[in-house]
Amino acid sequence: MLWFRQCIKNSKIFAALLVQAAIFMFSVIPATAVDGEAILQQIDRNLQPETYEMYRKLINIEPDGTKKEFVLYSVKKGQEKMVALFLSPASEKGRSTLRLGDNMWLYIPNVGKPIRITSLQSVVGGVFNNSDILRLDYGAEYSVAGIEEQGEGYVLDLKAKTNSVAYDRLIMQVDKKALVPTTIKCFAASGMLIKTLYYKDIKDFGDGMMRPSVLETDSPLYKGYKSVMVYAKIQKKELADEVFTLNYLPRVDELR
Amino acid sequence: MILQNLLKLNEPFIRSQICWISLIIFILQHTAVFAQDEYSFDLEDFEKKSFEWGGYVELKFDHVDVNGDGAFTLLNMHREPRSFLDRISSTIQLDGNYNRGKTTLKWVMQATAEQDQLGWKDNADIFEAYASIKPTPMATIDLGKKVFKWGKGYAWNPVGFINRPKDPSNPEEALEGFIGAGVDYIRSFPGDLQTVALTTVALPVWEEVNEDFGEKDNVNLAAKLYLLYKDTDIDLIWYTGNSRSTRYGIDFSRNLATNFEIHGELAHVPSQKGVILNQDGTLSVRETADTSYLLGLRYLTKNDMTTILEFYHNDDGYSETEMDRFFMLVDDANSQFLATGSDFLFQKALMVSKKGYGKPQPGRNYLYTRINQKEPFDILYFTPGITAIINLDDTSYSISPEAVYTGFTNWEIRLRFSLINGAHYSEHGEKLNSNKLEMRVRYFF
Repeated sequence: MLWFRQCIKNSKIFAALLVQAAIFMFSVIPATAVDGEAILQQIDRNLQPETYEMYRKLINIEPDGTKKEFVLYSVKKGQEKMVALFLSPASEKGRSTLRLGDNMWLYIPNVGKPIRITSLQSVVGGVFNNSDILRLDYGAEYSVAGIEEQGEGYVLDLKAKTNSVAYDRLIMQVDKKALVPTTIKCFAASGMLIKTLYYKDIKDFGDGMMRPSVLETDSPLYKGYKSVMVYAKIQKKELADEVFTLNYLPRVDELR
Repeated sequence: MILQNLLKLNEPFIRSQICWISLIIFILQHTAVFAQDEYSFDLEDFEKKSFEWGGYVELKFDHVDVNGDGAFTLLNMHREPRSFLDRISSTIQLDGNYNRGKTTLKWVMQATAEQDQLGWKDNADIFEAYASIKPTPMATIDLGKKVFKWGKGYAWNPVGFINRPKDPSNPEEALEGFIGAGVDYIRSFPGDLQTVALTTVALPVWEEVNEDFGEKDNVNLAAKLYLLYKDTDIDLIWYTGNSRSTRYGIDFSRNLATNFEIHGELAHVPSQKGVILNQDGTLSVRETADTSYLLGLRYLTKNDMTTILEFYHNDDGYSETEMDRFFMLVDDANSQFLATGSDFLFQKALMVSKKGYGKPQPGRNYLYTRINQKEPFDILYFTPGITAIINLDDTSYSISPEAVYTGFTNWEIRLRFSLINGAHYSEHGEKLNSNKLEMRVRYFF
């Protein structure tokens, strides 16, 4: 009888444990999304500080190997403010682009006033469009719709938060150790693959930042063409909010 | 002489040597490229310097078929009629800046020279030369000659009260500024109102200072309040002074979608003076309250075709009847010249032309369309396009297909053909050119 009571008591404990385990498991399923968001946030911080200045070179490579290069100086602040200034070639020098959330402008010195541009256009030609050049944090534009563990990495399924984001969906392969992307496939809302981004050559940028120094891209829409971004310097920088305004665009070079 | 003889004697040998040397240089150059890292990037080349300069040189060839019956042809060529003009012109533009602490000196200079069957012309101007002082990122003080390009319109800017009028056929070209003093103050905020910026300009008109702006011996004031409110650019613009009458303006620009932008401008001048030609051939000054406006859009298709469309109502422009009077005056002048050899009426018509009838778009209602197809057939850096300017009152037009190639680093090559057409006594039907072929090559440095 005692044994029976003990059994019942144990079974109650077992049932309670079972219920608690079930509650825990159910709470774990949405927690996967939370984990995905946390991983995405960490990826963003590993790729770049929240507020920084950066030098990079863009190279457009044609099928016959011909190259055209552009050098840009960029500054970013917070989740949605970014400016990029062309330093080279001479034909583009002084042009600057500003992004405030979904708004983008291009300033051409001769034109003298900023004109609104769209994320799908490209100020440099080639495979990179304006949203690639003025890229905000992935977490600012995308939510994690799913996450999967695959060997040495994760696969994140990212869905655009609004329809004004250039790509509707990203499939991001992530290096589990370094927590940086290795490959990102970018899809339109129709499901069409627009381009693939390849992050390569992890390098020490100082201040504890280890991140890929090369970003390559190709696109089925530009067969045989390739565009590359080479990062040379990324470092934290304090910036006033007023730097990210149309009136400041002609003066961006003074930040260097 | 010795060298010439030597070259003559050994011509085949020298040619073969040149070929070999060229080939070796070519191979060495390409070997050097392959020997470099796959993607090299030396940041030292792009270090900030206190003195920087650049610019471009341009060579342009124009072939113009002259519109023999056009009022402006008769006005300008009645003594030496021509059926065509071939023009070669060259331009050099130099720009630069010098930074020292919180002060930057900036300048843009341009010199042009052209030769055609009518003769040689040259010109050199300082477009901009000013000091920019920045005590904080929020404030800037500018002193000197500076270009103002206020307004959101691409081809026209009715609210550009202190702008130089731009050429709608080449709206992205550099323009000459005005001498003045300006203060720019910017503030950013979180929330719906993201940016507020106030620009104020004092623009004097004195002897040899901004004389072409308006009446002399006045200091004029202009101000622009910019707001970025709920993702919409808004400018409130005001001008007052005795060189031109007081005027008020507002403009806006907004993206309705990632590929669709709309913009507009509205300008009101309570008292606008303009010279008009009366039916009896006399000139008088008309004073009216004008309200001009512009509405435009920019649309990008999925295959990278950009369309800019703008409607412009210029309340200050001439009506069809007023333009007809001017064209009739030129006809009368031509009849007088042919009959008597006197160019008295031509001189009068020339004066009337300079008072406003001869300005680039003298009418009241216009439609501007520009369509560019970026990199068609996967040809990188190649942008064909077409621009049309239509006078909606007399339905005359100019239409200009063009092709631009920027594939060679720092080179820009543009080929453009313009057809200018319209009925008798219409704006484009009376222009000097009936068509124009233009080849322009620019090298940036």
